[in-house]
Amino acid sequence: MATTTATITLSSADIQSDVLALTKQATLNKGGTTTGLEQTTGLNKIIYVSTANVLLLDSTVLGVGKAAKVYIANKSTDASEYLDIQIHDQNVGRLYAGDWMFIPWSQSDPDGNIRVKPSVATALPVEYMMIHEGATQTAAA
Amino acid sequence: MATTTATINIASADLTDNALNITNTATLNKRGNLEGLDTIISATKTFTSTSAVDLVAVTGFTATAANKVYIANTGTSESDYFTIGIQSEEVGRLYGGDWMFIPWDANTDDDITITPSVATAMTAEYMVFS
Repeated sequence: MATTTATITLSSADIQSDVLALTKQATLNKGGTTTGLEQTTGLNKIIYVSTANVLLLDSTVLGVGKAAKVYIANKSTDASEYLDIQIHDQNVGRLYAGDWMFIPWSQSDPDGNIRVKPSVATALPVEYMMIHEGATQTAAA
Repeated sequence: MATTTATINIASADLTDNALNITNTATLNKRGNLEGLDTIISATKTFTSTSAVDLVAVTGFTATAANKVYIANTGTSESDYFTIGIQSEEVGRLYGGDWMFIPWDANTDDDITITPSVATAMTAEYMVFS
């Protein structure tokens, strides 16, 4: 059993009159258990050179209803460049340059894929990783 | 203009053969520029029903914006979870101690919904930066 943690720290001295300083650590376990997630895609990097809506992570039968965690980061440094994030056909939001997201992904149905759509075709770098309980193996092409 | 940062660290000594230690810090800016998000909503809610309800509704938020949302299940149960959705699409389940952080464009009908798995006092905390 592996032990993996994800920690978020939210900080601001001036968004409100009190200083914002929140830290929260989660231990990434399989759904409904205290057993740690044991599988990962590893950290991936893709440089998108098209504005096409493309598949990032494929929802698979072995993942449906499970406790996968997904990290996605837009590594562009141009503030105007963004990445639209979709689950199935639902827009989640836009990751602008430097932004990241971290979500539980229960792959609610086999069509609940995570898709991305870059705003520019001029080399937009994206990093992503999934830590998960299982993924259906597909045959080699 | 406010300056707010969100830092993530994902770490494991034994998930893979080589230790995993990823850290990334984002400065939370308005869409397409370097001006900081300057509004925050922060709340804690306790739920005693398994009904799906809006946690954050789009009303009052600018559409196609670079809002950010943090949600955490403050419970300690490994079996009780919140199902988080956007409009009718399920995103995932927050078990006890889990958190999530997402960009949220607050387009029409894109309310963030929450559904507790049990009716025995589950508590979520959340923040919206806009």
